Amino acid sequence: MTAANVKLVKTLVLAFLAIWLVFTGFPLFFMIVTSLKPVEEINRMVPTFWPETMRPQNYAGIFADPGSLKSLVDSLIVSSANTVLSLFLGTLAGYALARWVRGVVGENLAFFILSNRMFPPVAILIPMFFLFDATPWGTDSYVSLIVLYLVFNMPLATWLMMVFFRDAPRELEEAAYLDGYSPFRAFFKVTLPLVFPGMISVAMLCWIFAWNEYLFANLLTGTTVKTFPVHIPTFTLGSQTLWNLVMAFSLVAMLPPVILFIVLRRYMVRGLSLGVVKG
Amino acid sequence: MARLELQEICKGFDEPVLDRLSLTVEEGEFFVVVGPSGIGKTTLLRCVAGLEVLDAGRVLIGGTDVTRIPPYRRRVAMTFESYALYPHLTVFENIASPLRARKADRAALERRVGEVARLLRIDQLLDRKPHEISGGQKQRTALGRTLVAEPDIFLLDEPISHLDAKIRHELRRQFHTLEELRRVATIYVTHDYAEALSLGDRIGIMGRGGLEQVGTAREVFQRPTSLFVARHMGQPSINELACELAAEGDAVRAVAGGGSVAFAVAPAHRAALNGGTGRLTVGIRPQHIAVLPEGAAADGRQIVEARVEIFEALGATGVLIAETGGVSLTALTSPDARFEPGQPIRLGLATDSFLYFGADGGRNLHG
Repeated sequence: MTAANVKLVKTLVLAFLAIWLVFTGFPLFFMIVTSLKPVEEINRMVPTFWPETMRPQNYAGIFADPGSLKSLVDSLIVSSANTVLSLFLGTLAGYALARWVRGVVGENLAFFILSNRMFPPVAILIPMFFLFDATPWGTDSYVSLIVLYLVFNMPLATWLMMVFFRDAPRELEEAAYLDGYSPFRAFFKVTLPLVFPGMISVAMLCWIFAWNEYLFANLLTGTTVKTFPVHIPTFTLGSQTLWNLVMAFSLVAMLPPVILFIVLRRYMVRGLSLGVVKG
Repeated sequence: MARLELQEICKGFDEPVLDRLSLTVEEGEFFVVVGPSGIGKTTLLRCVAGLEVLDAGRVLIGGTDVTRIPPYRRRVAMTFESYALYPHLTVFENIASPLRARKADRAALERRVGEVARLLRIDQLLDRKPHEISGGQKQRTALGRTLVAEPDIFLLDEPISHLDAKIRHELRRQFHTLEELRRVATIYVTHDYAEALSLGDRIGIMGRGGLEQVGTAREVFQRPTSLFVARHMGQPSINELACELAAEGDAVRAVAGGGSVAFAVAPAHRAALNGGTGRLTVGIRPQHIAVLPEGAAADGRQIVEARVEIFEALGATGVLIAETGGVSLTALTSPDARFEPGQPIRLGLATDSFLYFGADGGRNLHG
């Protein structure tokens, strides 16, 4: 490529990124702006792109509402518990598939597990309601959501962990056996640290799915347990929707995943590049 | 401290790799297994270590049957061809790993790792991670990890073959002198015959299915039991000539190249050659072919007129490839000699040192 071509490509890339930034940045910007407007200003036919009257009290209103706070806590409980469970089961299953159940059986079993993520979730919506209704803890409980989300997160965790374990050289485990570690201790000494960045990525994916899930949470729960996606529609009154509060609350609800991502970004990038062992 | 016994061990994957292989390595013996790549040398080590389940046969360490004992209870240490260092741990922790497995107390652990690291001259690298050190240092770290374990059996899988020549030489010298290695039974695997001849108390040449020959360096080099062994011991490789035996009165000659060249069979060898008829392969080591200057005495050697094809001066030696009667012969010469392609020369063959191999299977006809 000539110097002029390099410059052209660079310019085009920058132009593309600029357009991309508008597409992704504008909704966020408008959320923030809307969250700071008073109710009278949100339904104007020519919308204002900067609040005429600033109302940061919207945020105070959110935290004054015990329902809002509880919904965030509920979401935190459900998504965290589900993530721990998905990761625990997915790691064990992924390890088994990567090391012990190889060949035709292993490949098909692994694919079958992943295929559980491929059906449209709505297909099992009603059956799941009746299923959990028949359990001692009923539909409207933490347990029901934590267990139900395993349907989606465990296949993902299993599949990804399997790929990570396949990348971790078996020879390292064998070296650990010869050092005198039993298979169980070798797993914790050698293999698990190697797939740790991958585990963090998987945890993030599972956690974000459970954090944002609406469909099942809305049908199964709502009284005893109420996750935040289910709580958001309650800002709709008879005659109008309080968009400013919806946006303020949504922004607050976005914070935990964003902070998590920033803190764990280092591992995420390493994990998702699927290269667990380098050098 | 113990001897290692393998009794008729069998291991196959799609086809048999080890077929009823038996071997005893004494305590304190340094046994080298040499053979071409992919022949099953690593599989042999993995069977001893317990990383492979045997199809048949028994493995005994110090007289105890360990065939069904898992690797982590066998007291066997092994270095892997890839070193298999733990990438997330420092050099110190890598070396300390076997001691940690045993839950050795802290002071003893630090002392022992320090000793081994000083011995291998990697004590200044203890805080580094494996990806921050060179190949030779990785190799020494891997070796250190096996040394601290103080095992009954050492297994070393191509430990120095991927290093550059200088470090390879340095480490090879270290293998001669390491007390720890010389005290217990060691199996050392390599594909480099020079390493094998240099290091091995005994050497096993591995062919398809098992060990073709086991013996001291002198035995396997001078009296190979088969063409396969002869071919893998020595660089440049032995000259192999398909010949037909022909008796001519008292003398027996091996005729090659469709009758154009004939080699005299030394009287001492005649008895072994089925009365002097049939087909066979004559093996002539390059060092048993000398280039004779004009007018030099034959000195008991057979004189052959030849023509230079290629000459390579390799520093310490020269390798000459010459052609006579349609047969190519490789000879070792002085590196200072000068030969032009096409130049006529006289070769002196030390017929006493010829080796004779049967045409089928290539067994050495001397026995």
